[in-house]
Amino acid sequence: MSILAVDKLSKNFRGLAAIADVSFTIEAGSITSIIGPNGAGKSTLFNLVTGYLEPSAGEIAFQGKRITGMATNRIAELGVARAFQIARPFRELSVFENVRIGALFGKAGPRDVAATTLRGMELAAIAHLADQPASALTVGQLRHLEVARAIATRADLLLADEPCAGLNPTETAAMIEVLRKIRGDGVTVVLVEHDMPSVMEVSDRILVLDAGRLIADGAPRDVANDPKVIAAYLGTPDAA
Amino acid sequence: MSKRPALAIGLMVAAAAVLAFGPLVLPSFYVRVGQLMLYSAGLGVAWAILGGFAGYASFGHAAFIGVGAFAAGLVEERFSGLPTPLLLPLGLVVGGACCAVLSAVIAYPILRLRGTFFAIAMLGVSHVCAEVTNNIDFFQGSLGLNFPPIAPASMDPAIFFYELYLVAGLAVLLIAWKIRYSRFGAGLLSIREDEDTARMLGVPTERYKRMAFVVSAVLTGLLGVIYGHSLGYITTESVYRDDTNLSLIVYSLLGGMGTLFGPVIGAFALVFVTQVILGRLLDFHLFATGLMLVLLILLAPGGVLGLLKRKAAS
Repeated sequence: MSILAVDKLSKNFRGLAAIADVSFTIEAGSITSIIGPNGAGKSTLFNLVTGYLEPSAGEIAFQGKRITGMATNRIAELGVARAFQIARPFRELSVFENVRIGALFGKAGPRDVAATTLRGMELAAIAHLADQPASALTVGQLRHLEVARAIATRADLLLADEPCAGLNPTETAAMIEVLRKIRGDGVTVVLVEHDMPSVMEVSDRILVLDAGRLIADGAPRDVANDPKVIAAYLGTPDAA
Repeated sequence: MSKRPALAIGLMVAAAAVLAFGPLVLPSFYVRVGQLMLYSAGLGVAWAILGGFAGYASFGHAAFIGVGAFAAGLVEERFSGLPTPLLLPLGLVVGGACCAVLSAVIAYPILRLRGTFFAIAMLGVSHVCAEVTNNIDFFQGSLGLNFPPIAPASMDPAIFFYELYLVAGLAVLLIAWKIRYSRFGAGLLSIREDEDTARMLGVPTERYKRMAFVVSAVLTGLLGVIYGHSLGYITTESVYRDDTNLSLIVYSLLGGMGTLFGPVIGAFALVFVTQVILGRLLDFHLFATGLMLVLLILLAPGGVLGLLKRKAAS
């Protein structure tokens, strides 16, 4: 069954179409990557799904429930979490306190705050940093904190915006491992990512956006060989 | 602090007991300084529920002191026939209710502003309230408003108000404490740190900001009601004061922004310096306060508590 359904979604910024008539569904329990050149509309898509932006047209449904135009915190209460591309920790708070905010809020319903906080830190492999202030963390650790906080919200759908950007190969491998573990816990993951080896390795399915349009959708191998995708990244011979 | 609640509570009870018996041994000048210290500490903590916890630093909380005091004074004048022990409760209820309504009404538009814009908008609110009070005859702001005496005949009014401020200040501190370590309080801290991220994590940021604003405004208003009584006679200028607007920020800066006890430490320190050390140098004290503020922001941005924390860490 699909956990997220995006139907004929469009978003215009003063006439510029950032997202144009995009439709897709995401299967529960999968890892899906959204790729595309800079400015293709990947982050805009996340902003629309999380309610930061209101679409110009189209509908978004989460677990069968219409969430189009709903307030961001209400969408979070339904079970959608997002890890930002540029980590946005609560700098003055400790790692533990950061993750605890996710556990205290996030998806509605009963919870064990202490256990959820610990579980989030363990899954993201930052339990040993619990007492550190967030401001003392490295870029790689901040990305893990970002993911830990999102897991602690007990979300069913995690939108991860370039979790590997700026990480070295070792850190990237660690992050991919974390995403796999999250999926193993039953969380559906949607990634926006530039690091193609990681994308190919971790994804069940890849969506390709170019200039706001969905130009390819399929298994990693098929998408990588799709002439339209190669053209979007490298340009077409006659355009060059 | 949060890890040793028993110790903190013990220290607080001890400090409260010492403060409560203070007026029995202190000369009357120091009883009045003590009044001002306790009143200021209460105001500082009430301010910090919004300004310190949620990070919405108001530069106009004197608005609520004034609205609380004038609402209470006017209603107590109308019902002056009531038995004396009922007058203060009546004033507190009406003054608190007026602040609740005012803050709830302006919360929606004004809390959309962030940072400096919010601070300046609150200064505007404070000035508008002052102008309305001053220029509409009904409010008697320019003429002045008398409060009925409420201290029992057997007690020195200075001591009565000292003890009243102590009780009120402790109540405000207790409320702030409960908030700080609740889910609501954690949500407010996340708003201070990064409002957009907080919302994304499911924190109902708009509702929490409004709640913090109303709680802060009502507590400030209640202290304003007591302040009106302790003065006995108020005009617009005596309650809508810009130096109060400024001081409320300074208390938190001085003691430790965003902390529970910072504003208490800041209020005690600033009142002591301005009233006791510089009391005879009135022309000099604003200059000294300003100089202290500049040095503080440059040398100890975390305030007194920030300094202690840094000492403990090193």
